[in-house]
Amino acid sequence: MAEERYYEDVNVGDTVIEMEKGPLQKLQLVMYAGASGDFNPLHTDDDFAKAVGMKDGVIAHGMFIMGCVGQAVTDWVPKKRLKRYGVRFAGMSKPGNTITISGVVTEKRVVDGENIVTCAVVAKDEQGDVKVSGSFDAALPGKA
Amino acid sequence: MADLSKVGTEYTPIVWEVERGKIREFAKAIGDFNPIYLDREAAVKAGYKDTPAPPTFLTVPMMWCGKMPDFINDLKINFMMVLHGEEEYEYYREIYPGDVITGTPKVTRMEEKTSKSGSKMDMITLEVLYTNQLGEDVAKTRSLLVERK
Repeated sequence: MAEERYYEDVNVGDTVIEMEKGPLQKLQLVMYAGASGDFNPLHTDDDFAKAVGMKDGVIAHGMFIMGCVGQAVTDWVPKKRLKRYGVRFAGMSKPGNTITISGVVTEKRVVDGENIVTCAVVAKDEQGDVKVSGSFDAALPGKA
Repeated sequence: MADLSKVGTEYTPIVWEVERGKIREFAKAIGDFNPIYLDREAAVKAGYKDTPAPPTFLTVPMMWCGKMPDFINDLKINFMMVLHGEEEYEYYREIYPGDVITGTPKVTRMEEKTSKSGSKMDMITLEVLYTNQLGEDVAKTRSLLVERK
């Protein structure tokens, strides 16, 4: 559970998120399909996935990886401080992949009286291939 | 090939009742064992009214409502050629168990782009502003679909 973060304690360039997830298991993709309602068989049925050109079978839902990054985000900053979170889906993840998630502070600014911190986030596999990249904004309390 | 004249189209609202069990199931499926998503007491102790929805939870009403294939058909997008390019959330208020949220999907942008390699793609942006049972805005989702041609 994330502890409170204060605006004054966060600096541009700080690495604030480092998390490893995996290795990914097919069972997780089945659980995510049921939880999210995304039943595209590309994520759960090896025969289907191979038939549409995935030689190793199923691939993870992009939204599952975005969810994993979201986990890392709200492990660092309390959920109630999160204002915006967006990603671009850059590559496919497969069962067996271990995903490394990192986040770096890129900007601090005061907007309409709120202390906004922006962080860049990225999820990569063990080869360094990017799966998702994006950013989030959090409004942090000040110490004053 | 996407029908670019459909920009501005609004679809029938998605109405979704948020359940505590669904929030817990969704967090666990991700492998997120943050107690604020799993345990009401822990959430209250951390300053929430109840277990809040995790950051990407709004994919649940969108996927479970089962309307995405209808949108894709209506926009004349080739289902076999479409990729989820980007996803973004803006958060205004927490979403809690018992909330009934309503979101009206709207096609806010459609444009053709040419990639560096010269291939053409249609980029379709779908936005949904969700409000709760009190009429308060809770979040906005923005999804970018990419149709390769």
